[in-house]
Amino acid sequence: MRLGRRWSCVTLAILILLATGVLTVAPAQQASTLVVGLVAEPVALDPAQVTDLNSNRVGRRVVETLVAFADETTQIVPGLAESWTISKDGLSYTFKLRKGISFHDGTPFNAAAVKFSIERQINPEHPANKLGKYPFAAYFFGNVKAVEVMDDSTVRFILKEPRASFLAILTAGAASIVSPTAAMKLGQDYAASPVGTGPFKFATWDHGQRVVLDKNPGYWRFPVKVDHVIFRPITEDQARLTELLTGALDLIVGTPPDFVDQLENNPKVTLQRQVGAHVWYLGFNNAKKPFDDKRVRQALNYAVNKDAIVRDVLKGTGAVSKGPVLPGTWGDDAGLKAFPYDPARARKLLAEAGLPNGFSTTLWVPESGSGMQSPVAMSTIIQSNLKAVGVTVNLQTMEWGTYLAKLRTKEQEMFALSWMAGSEDPDLVLYPLLHSSQWTPVGPNRAMYKNPRFDDVLTQARLTTDQAKRAELYREAQRLLQDDPPWIFIDHEVQTAAYAKRVQGFKLHPSFDLRVETISLK
Amino acid sequence: MSRYLLRRLLLLVPVLVGVSVVVFLVLHLAPGDPAEIMLGPQATQEDVSRLRADLGLDRPLPLQYVHWMAHVLQGDLGRSIRMRQPVLGEVLLRFRATLLLTATALALSTVGGIALGVLSAARPHSLVDRLSTLGSIFGASMPSFWLALVLMVCFSLWLGWLPASGMYGAHAGGGLLDLLSHLVLPAITLAAASMTIIARLTRSTMLDVLRQDFVRTARAKGLVERAVVLRHALRNALIPTVTVVGVQAGYLLGGAVLTETVFSWPGVGTLMIQGILARDFPLVQGCVLVIALGFVLFNLAVDLLYAVLDPRIRYE
Repeated sequence: MRLGRRWSCVTLAILILLATGVLTVAPAQQASTLVVGLVAEPVALDPAQVTDLNSNRVGRRVVETLVAFADETTQIVPGLAESWTISKDGLSYTFKLRKGISFHDGTPFNAAAVKFSIERQINPEHPANKLGKYPFAAYFFGNVKAVEVMDDSTVRFILKEPRASFLAILTAGAASIVSPTAAMKLGQDYAASPVGTGPFKFATWDHGQRVVLDKNPGYWRFPVKVDHVIFRPITEDQARLTELLTGALDLIVGTPPDFVDQLENNPKVTLQRQVGAHVWYLGFNNAKKPFDDKRVRQALNYAVNKDAIVRDVLKGTGAVSKGPVLPGTWGDDAGLKAFPYDPARARKLLAEAGLPNGFSTTLWVPESGSGMQSPVAMSTIIQSNLKAVGVTVNLQTMEWGTYLAKLRTKEQEMFALSWMAGSEDPDLVLYPLLHSSQWTPVGPNRAMYKNPRFDDVLTQARLTTDQAKRAELYREAQRLLQDDPPWIFIDHEVQTAAYAKRVQGFKLHPSFDLRVETISLK
Repeated sequence: MSRYLLRRLLLLVPVLVGVSVVVFLVLHLAPGDPAEIMLGPQATQEDVSRLRADLGLDRPLPLQYVHWMAHVLQGDLGRSIRMRQPVLGEVLLRFRATLLLTATALALSTVGGIALGVLSAARPHSLVDRLSTLGSIFGASMPSFWLALVLMVCFSLWLGWLPASGMYGAHAGGGLLDLLSHLVLPAITLAAASMTIIARLTRSTMLDVLRQDFVRTARAKGLVERAVVLRHALRNALIPTVTVVGVQAGYLLGGAVLTETVFSWPGVGTLMIQGILARDFPLVQGCVLVIALGFVLFNLAVDLLYAVLDPRIRYE
């Protein structure tokens, strides 16, 4: 009998489990709640304290910047500031702030809040400075001498030296304006529960499970149509896809290339694509032989079949790159073409450079990493392309953290890396990556690229506030890069989002921001 | 008994100190540093140095360890470098989820494994025995992430019976049924390999025991077969099984890392992986300490269980 009882317990347990399964056949969709699947959990939600995409995508729903990107482009438009003036010498930027806006905690938005938000990052004496770690303090605001409150709705930034891309910098997450009251009250915990002026208010964060944001009913730009947004971290690609197709998620971003076809042909979902302000490149160590000879670098650019990489590895989630500047933006030189795939020309150039039999080299590749797409598969194709012109490439794959540390040693010969500027301003790509003052370890110029004319052009473009003049200078800079290529230019990431049919009004943004506030649910 | 218990508990101290030193050294000596990873490829030297100094990473290693240990002794595991959250709260919260998953998987593998083993041994070479053998080979040779994906595609994508990820539905307030439905697939995935090991072991020990004299005596007394198998033979066959279950518990805690990642189960495993990738020293050290503590305590419980199962075993 005892056996019988035990077995019935086990049977009962199994039945309960199955029953619960049956009960969850259709996950309850709530009319006014949008559920978004993220590739990874946000690290923190204060955009001034994070560097990763997922944190920014959630955090930037809560806080906003003085100037912003237009709805579908990375052109700069007014944000919390309604207008601005730039002094002739390019050293002072004066912003007129919008009136009548409050933070979610009721604190009025004003010039003092702007001063607080920036100074907490750059002034070690500021009372909020020790309450957080501000990773981009030097990178973005190292050039800010002072932030002055002129009156309640006027604020002035004084720069140490002119920098024409300063407005573009102010669109960055790190430049978000936070509620000083909340930041001081919450201290170190502010990073996990931000308070801003944005379309959504922070509600709860169940770590490892979900971040919930509630609609800001008094949002100043437009009425927000969904009541809640839930962001769920789901790392496994198959799980994210399954949850979307079974209705547990409304929207996913970062579709892996192998799933693109499946989603595109599925009647339940819509797949959207959008080229992002990103570039994936294969850097040379320009200071090392044989890469100090530009003919070798040109040859390798001709040797790689970028169309094949974009088509076969990335399955259309990349657009062939002709250089670091995003095509179709104001700084782009539309007349330039990407290096064509021409192995014969590559061999000829190598022979001219005194390397008719090619050479051997090492290529460092991270296994994964922010903006790295499919680094190992892409590098493997590059390896075989180069083999075909006589260059033997020894592929070394590394874990991301190890990889970043190794790149500071300057021992690299070739390396795969990407750059997500999140902005179309060429200064935010060309200068840090290729100006000779930015050689690693000081800055991110890990290719050790140095071209004096190019340096001059970039510096001039920084000092000129007239955009037409800057555009002309950047076009020249791109022509210089094509003649004297620092890298093999590979692709610009095409972001993808897949969403249920009930999701209306969503547009992927080229800055990689995830603007779910425009969504309404059917 | 209480003396034995005290001695075992005291032994915890050197074990945990040892674990903490090894983890500390491995983490700090591995290439890559948290400031660099946090700042990403855009970092300037100035930002990296400032952040390193802020995090206290520019101080000598022994000093960093002593500083950390001094706080640990006061019950403060520090703040996570990347999340800025206090480590202790975060780890305990996540450990609960891991414990739930591991305990369910352990119960599933133990009950299922013993049941299969007993059934097979009671009727060797029967259909049940053959099926169980086949299942065991299948279960033991399948990588858990693959099994996870197969289960996910079958039960979530095709049949739509069970959710594919997380611990609760996005909207649900966290009801028991919601939790159980999310638990099924990860628990089966995690339990599969252990269940087959326990089943095979129980089968072979049971076959041995069933051939012994006291079993023949029991049968001769006229006891029904069910009582012979379950009351007399099984209890004697359980000692090696309990040992293996103890070992499997540790294995499951470790194996949970992979299962948690695939199913986005908010356990300590996923937390630790993120921590390791970001070289979040305080977070990983905290996770490892808590897992080590759990593991050691569980082993102690298993040792004490021997005495309950076999009256001949006594701890002095």
